[in-house]
Amino acid sequence: MSRSSVPKPGGAGATSPVLLGLLGLAGFAALLEVLPRLGILPAEYFPPTSTIANALVDEIGRPAFWTAFGDTLRTWATGLLISVVGGVVLGVVIGAVPFLRAATASTIEFLRPIPSVALIPLAVVLLGTGMDSTLLLVVYASFWQVLVQVLHGVADVDPVAKETAHSYRLGRWARVRYLVWPTTLPYAMTGIRLAASVALILTITGELIIGSPGLGREIAVAQSSGAVPAMYALVVVTGLIGVVANLVTRTAERRVLVWHPSVRKEVPV
Amino acid sequence: MRAASERPPITKVMEFPMTRRFAALLLAAALAAATTACGGSSTPPSSPPSGQPDKVNVGVIAIVDVAPIYLGKQQGFFSTRSIDLNLQTAQGGAAIVPAVVSGQYQFGFSNVVSLLLAQSRQLPIRVVSNGNNSTGVPTADFGGIVVKDPSITSPKGLEGKKVATNTLKNIVDTSVKEVVKKDGGDPNKVSFVELPFPDMAAAMDAGRVDAIFVVEPFLAAAKAKGWKQIASYADVDPNLCVALYFTSVQLATSNPDLVKRFTDAMKESLAYADTHPDEVRAVLGTYTQISEEVRKNLTLPKWPAEINRDAVARLGDLAVEYGLMTAKPDLGTLLP
Repeated sequence: MSRSSVPKPGGAGATSPVLLGLLGLAGFAALLEVLPRLGILPAEYFPPTSTIANALVDEIGRPAFWTAFGDTLRTWATGLLISVVGGVVLGVVIGAVPFLRAATASTIEFLRPIPSVALIPLAVVLLGTGMDSTLLLVVYASFWQVLVQVLHGVADVDPVAKETAHSYRLGRWARVRYLVWPTTLPYAMTGIRLAASVALILTITGELIIGSPGLGREIAVAQSSGAVPAMYALVVVTGLIGVVANLVTRTAERRVLVWHPSVRKEVPV
Repeated sequence: MRAASERPPITKVMEFPMTRRFAALLLAAALAAATTACGGSSTPPSSPPSGQPDKVNVGVIAIVDVAPIYLGKQQGFFSTRSIDLNLQTAQGGAAIVPAVVSGQYQFGFSNVVSLLLAQSRQLPIRVVSNGNNSTGVPTADFGGIVVKDPSITSPKGLEGKKVATNTLKNIVDTSVKEVVKKDGGDPNKVSFVELPFPDMAAAMDAGRVDAIFVVEPFLAAAKAKGWKQIASYADVDPNLCVALYFTSVQLATSNPDLVKRFTDAMKESLAYADTHPDEVRAVLGTYTQISEEVRKNLTLPKWPAEINRDAVARLGDLAVEYGLMTAKPDLGTLLP
């Protein structure tokens, strides 16, 4: 989860790496099937892949699973939306006003590294154990990802372009629209992609530890019920959500930045 | 991640898996909320206009012990008393006490020792109903000590051994110490390792601990592996009171009518659960993932409708004896 200061949106989506990736996944699944069956791993605590797959089918048939699934997606999407809107708006405002930027830099650098999970006790006392507590963690963790990227983006505006805009007497709004925004967008998209995965991590963490409704809580319930295969099945589901979330944000990134040299590969930069 | 075992017993509130440090943070935060924020945004629902049921949030843990409240809700024991019951499962019990004190929950479920400890730290809580008790049958109880090594035949044999407890300085290790002492052993020679209940069997399989104290459904699973049960809650006290339902002092004084209705509904639920084990086993399937086969075979706790004050007092004495607290608990104010 390293943050690249130069955003590299998208990537070369060739077919053979996809195939290789699927092959690797199949190999991993086969290994997890064989090791418990041979008794190398205790099957009681590491059920073979086929058992997990069966449990997954059972889960999919449970209405409670879909409620939890919806709760997780809702918490994740709401948290992400708040972070993205807040991060982009505040980022552009703070980044565009040198005074604000200087005044907030130290505060941001102080608040940003606080691990979101450290706020769990505070969240529980303030907001109880419902969705709001988890939402607080999600927003706290993912907001900084977006804000910091947008701040970098705003600072990266080409000075020549800036002076050109001045010469053409572009107004404040026009400067944001035609100068700041195109420069910031690739950074913001990177921030959003990072925020999306961070938000998912914190959603599951909050549900697991606080017990707010969602897949994380279902994992905890399965664990305290001794339902080991069901627990792994739910873990697999959270992993799949992560994969889909990443695919969606990457595709969105490519769509939004079709004009950008990093995506428009055929044109030399 | 686990805190050192020789830390003073100031951190743990709840029986259920949760790291000490986290529990301490929650407790500190709860104290802050209790002293500064009382009466702020956390006003409990006052008497509603006639016909409108009271919305009541109850913090529980998704374990066998709380089956009566789920069953009682299903049977309508709460709705007939104009209570719109909303059961909130908290993953770690440590989240329940602060949430009740701050008014997020109107009532909560907690083990007895945790409540005694919370009260000894001046947390403003009041017990409103019984929770669950030992079955009184040492060989068939819902929580007990299981060993893998057949050479350990009685609790005295745990001297010099490592025993897994879900929480240090709480009801489980206190129970282990007491049964070792009753068996003529020295409780100070037993060492404890903090592990969540679901992880205990794996730890004993791997040889990391010599004995585990597990509750259902893990007790049935451990016994099914051929491991031997050498003691149970019933050996501590045949009537041992394991958990209780509680509320905040604020709600108890501001809305005694609601508390009384809740207590009555709980009494009816507990009595019903105690006499309808098959329905209990069915309702377990609605809020846990315990498989049907395990549900059929696990040992259910006893659910007396009334609080056994002597049993609570006995745990208070044990808590003092084993250094969990310095003074005897003031049961007069804690219990109804």
